[in-house]
Amino acid sequence: MLEIKNLTKIYPDGTLALDDVSFTVEDGEFLVVIGLSGSGKSTLLRCINRLIDPTKGQIIMDGQDITAAEASELRRIRRKIGMIFQHFNLVDRSSVLTNVLSGKLGYINPWASLLHKYPPGAKKEAMAALEKVGITDQATKRADELSGGQRQRVGIARALMQNPSMMLADEPVASLDPVLAHTILGYLEQLNHESHISVLCSLHYLDLVQRYATKVIGLRDGQVVYRGDREDIRKMTDGQFKEIYGEEAIRVNAGELNQGEQ
Amino acid sequence: MSIIIKQEKKQSFVNAPTAAILSIILPGLGQILARRVQRGLLMFGAMASIIGLLVWRITLLGRLEDGFWPSLFKSLDRAPLFVGFGLLAIAGLWLWIVIDAAKQTNPDKQFGNSIFVLILVVFFTIGWQISEIDLVKLTSDANEAWVPLSKILWPWEAAVTHDTDTVEAGAKVLVDSEGPAPPVPEKSEGEPYLRVSPRKGELSKLDEDNQVIPGTVITVYGENFEPNTRTQIWWSDSIGNEFRPRYQGEYVSVMTDSEGSFEKEMIMPYRLIPPSAKGQQIHEVMARQVSQVGPPLPSQPLILTIELIIETIFMGMMATMFGIIFSVPISFLAARNLMSTSWITLTIYYLTRTVLNIVRAIEPLIWALIAVVWVGLGPFAGIVALTIHSIAALGKLYSEAIEGINPGPIEAIQATGATKLQTIMYAVVPQMIPPFVSFTIYRWDINVRMSTVIGMVGGGGIGFLLVQYIRLLEYKSAGIAVWFIALTVAILDYVSAEIRQKFV
Repeated sequence: MLEIKNLTKIYPDGTLALDDVSFTVEDGEFLVVIGLSGSGKSTLLRCINRLIDPTKGQIIMDGQDITAAEASELRRIRRKIGMIFQHFNLVDRSSVLTNVLSGKLGYINPWASLLHKYPPGAKKEAMAALEKVGITDQATKRADELSGGQRQRVGIARALMQNPSMMLADEPVASLDPVLAHTILGYLEQLNHESHISVLCSLHYLDLVQRYATKVIGLRDGQVVYRGDREDIRKMTDGQFKEIYGEEAIRVNAGELNQGEQ
Repeated sequence: MSIIIKQEKKQSFVNAPTAAILSIILPGLGQILARRVQRGLLMFGAMASIIGLLVWRITLLGRLEDGFWPSLFKSLDRAPLFVGFGLLAIAGLWLWIVIDAAKQTNPDKQFGNSIFVLILVVFFTIGWQISEIDLVKLTSDANEAWVPLSKILWPWEAAVTHDTDTVEAGAKVLVDSEGPAPPVPEKSEGEPYLRVSPRKGELSKLDEDNQVIPGTVITVYGENFEPNTRTQIWWSDSIGNEFRPRYQGEYVSVMTDSEGSFEKEMIMPYRLIPPSAKGQQIHEVMARQVSQVGPPLPSQPLILTIELIIETIFMGMMATMFGIIFSVPISFLAARNLMSTSWITLTIYYLTRTVLNIVRAIEPLIWALIAVVWVGLGPFAGIVALTIHSIAALGKLYSEAIEGINPGPIEAIQATGATKLQTIMYAVVPQMIPPFVSFTIYRWDINVRMSTVIGMVGGGGIGFLLVQYIRLLEYKSAGIAVWFIALTVAILDYVSAEIRQKFV
């Protein structure tokens, strides 16, 4: 279980990115954060594994306070939290396999890893992760030779190497076309159902949210302006939607996904 | 969606005649008051610089004349086309600007920009005159350039030499003194043999007007030499100094007949006999046949060139290596994304950047001049100069590579629980390799090319040799050096392109 308590983040330039945000993620939940660009979604996700240090508040995962963790402790926490990104964040010049193996870095001797030495089982594990996302045949290619959808799958495989109990996904499908969006979210849903990994995902499009989320948090200007479960989001009205996305927001359906703002 | 931007039209402060009159007084003033400030300033600037430049050139052309009109007439006399065109252009431009000023008072008028084309034409005309372009010279003296050029383009005769074999015989003569003539040399079987007749005589002399008074005519007889071969005549004075006598500017020589014999008349050459010389002066006439034997051998210029081209390549390599060692740490100080955390680091950033820019602005050739004073002549001075310039150039390129790094992979690797070191190794280093390799090889390429030049100011390497050969007018030897430089640069260019392709 992940508890976020009164989380606030103020950037050095004075921007208030998160304003007293509190919510909980139960084990096995597929929680989706919605909101405009700049509403604080990315900051929120990055605070959870402390890629960004929050200004105030607590993040408690399975009873352990992440915000108070020391460097080595933080690394142990991070390796239980997988993360995938809008722009995939693969190391372009390295092979797919190397990228996937790098998910194991938190578990292995740092000095051995500098020589690219991995424990014996690691490579097999990496191939298994690639098989899960269906791209074993691309293992030896360079990451930048892959298409967008394939690269996000590598991102998922990399996160899987961490053997995570939770998955953070920062707009994982915003750079992909609608069909691929469903494929990628399908993988996340599969992990969520089969491996009981909780998923914390930010999304832009209401119909994707309605299709995958078990719980929804709406952010606007760093504040939580909407909370709802699967049922609530199905019944979400235009009024509520505008509350989150502002007055100019229009509903887009799947066919128009790519023309939405990014 | 189309966007329509409504632009408010600026109303002129003055009416058309006023603007025109203002621009007569000061070109561009009318436009400025018609609220076309940029246009007005541009026209004023253009007119001011054209007039200034023209006055400068007219004063130069009409120098030694006092006063405006005499200088102008003299310059018109010397360069009628240029001065005439310049004056006409100024008058035309001024008129055009005046008309333009009147037009610009009407806010609905389109901007006419053809006037700036004319301004450009005037600038290029002045530029043509200032840089003393003279197309006639390109053809008038082309023949003279062809002599050194052809030697440089095809220098390979100077690249080989042969061992030589010398067949020689001599006969003594008594010169300018009294006494018995030296004996006729003894003949021995199979050996080349030489005798002269008469065996005594007077050397050529110089009178008060430096006119040559010819000496005694002697006849030289040779036997048992190589048949049908050109044979050089040498002269050796009483203390054994050898020289080749000339007759009418040409060295004295003779062809042997089919028997290997010859007979040659010659005038005894001029040789100053020092007043301190005592006793009988016995000189020797010699006949020599020099023939090439054995396989062609590399000549001295070729060997030197190869030695120095190796030195040059290594100079470039060492300078690049030292450049890398120093520029890598400096590049971190000059990377904005790393140094923007506080005002102290930002100050260091600006300081580093400024120093790098200044050092880079100073050419390696100038650094070499300083280095020669610093560490003395030779390749080390060249290395110092190239290193200094490489540090600045690589420091800038590396720091830009660091600034251009994609932060995405870094946060992704951090998110896996990796340590700082692992993050650098897995997310930063792979991104740094292509630009690093690419810039370094490019720099090596530049350094080798530069080190061919740096020798010209005493920085060692092939440039040193090249300049020497050119100064000694040994164009063929210089040509060998040029060929090797070209070859090295071409190979290096190819190799570096290949390596860059592999890594990027």
